[in-house]
Amino acid sequence: MLSHLVIDATLYNGDSIFYVVTFLLLMWLVKIFAWGPITKMMQQRSDKISDDIDHAEKSRAEAADLADQRQEALQGSRVEAQQIVSTAKSDGQEQRGQIINKAEADAQALKAKAQDDIAQEREAALVGARNDVADLSIEIASKLIQRELNASDQKELIDSYIEGLGKPHES
Amino acid sequence: MGSGTVSTFQIWKLTFSTANVVSGLVVFILAFAVIFFTSRHVSMRPSKGQNFLEWLIDFTNGILKGSIPAKEVSGFGLWGFTLFLFLFLSNQLGLFFNVAINGSAIVRSPTSDPIVTLTMSMMTVVLANYAGLKKWGTKGYLASFIKPSPMFLASNLFEQVSSFLTLGLRIFGIIFSGEVLLEMVWSLAELKGIPTLIAAVPIEMAWQGLSVFLGSIQAYVFLTLSSVYIGRQLEGE
Repeated sequence: MLSHLVIDATLYNGDSIFYVVTFLLLMWLVKIFAWGPITKMMQQRSDKISDDIDHAEKSRAEAADLADQRQEALQGSRVEAQQIVSTAKSDGQEQRGQIINKAEADAQALKAKAQDDIAQEREAALVGARNDVADLSIEIASKLIQRELNASDQKELIDSYIEGLGKPHES
Repeated sequence: MGSGTVSTFQIWKLTFSTANVVSGLVVFILAFAVIFFTSRHVSMRPSKGQNFLEWLIDFTNGILKGSIPAKEVSGFGLWGFTLFLFLFLSNQLGLFFNVAINGSAIVRSPTSDPIVTLTMSMMTVVLANYAGLKKWGTKGYLASFIKPSPMFLASNLFEQVSSFLTLGLRIFGIIFSGEVLLEMVWSLAELKGIPTLIAAVPIEMAWQGLSVFLGSIQAYVFLTLSSVYIGRQLEGE
């Protein structure tokens, strides 16, 4: 039986070539239809996975950075707020001082003006009173002496009289 | 096969066995169908077919990685994958389709014929030697035959021949004997009509199951040993 097989094997020399060709053809087809695309995709997938891992690591680092920055900003804004409050306080104090000073100055000015006014009015009243007294005395005098005196003469008379009244102890 | 005439035909001066040619074509078509339909929609998220194909590729690459240096293994991936697929389908074909016309087999396992398995093992030996020649140059390649000393020249040459023969005849022996036994069980079934048929069917099925297992193992072994031969050439020791 074995010899029969060996003889057979030497007989079908064409089969050998047929199988080599078939196998190489199959290998070529496998490469075109399956091996090429599949291994490419497997490579892409492994690349993508390692990319994703890298990317995840990077974004985690970025997130940590951002958190740090936020913390810093928070600290900064707290300091700034304190600064603003203290500036506002000092500004307010300054303004208060200014307002008080201004009010004081205003009050002083008003007071001085009022005193001036009072003095002026007293002067005016004094002048008015002097005129009234002159008129009155004219009336009295006219009533007394029954005649109309010349007003200016009379005034002169009265003035001298009042002057005499002003310094009664000198005469 | 075993009994019966063998149908042959001739082209130029080459003799072809019809059974081998037809079976080879059937395996070729089956293998192409498998890789064609499993690789239709290649995408980042693999479908069922793609998953299967990727698993198979990983499997054959794993076998190669066991023996071939890691730097060179990528050059043999396609060859290993095709070889495994081809041998696996060849080994299984005869278990399920054993077609004979006028007593001569037309479709059976191509690997149950030594000419086919020896062709395969010859391809392996040629590929291994070619890889060694390419890596070490003509001088280094020839020098590898007289290592560790010129005394080993004969044994090194004999090793090449024995690799070629054992690799080819191992797979042939297993597959051929499997088919012969299937045929014997079948002739037993035909012996006395229905009673023997009923008795033979379970035996036939059990043996078919075992043969599927053996055929898968043999395809695996063939690829493993092939990668060992290639690895040995590439290591150059």
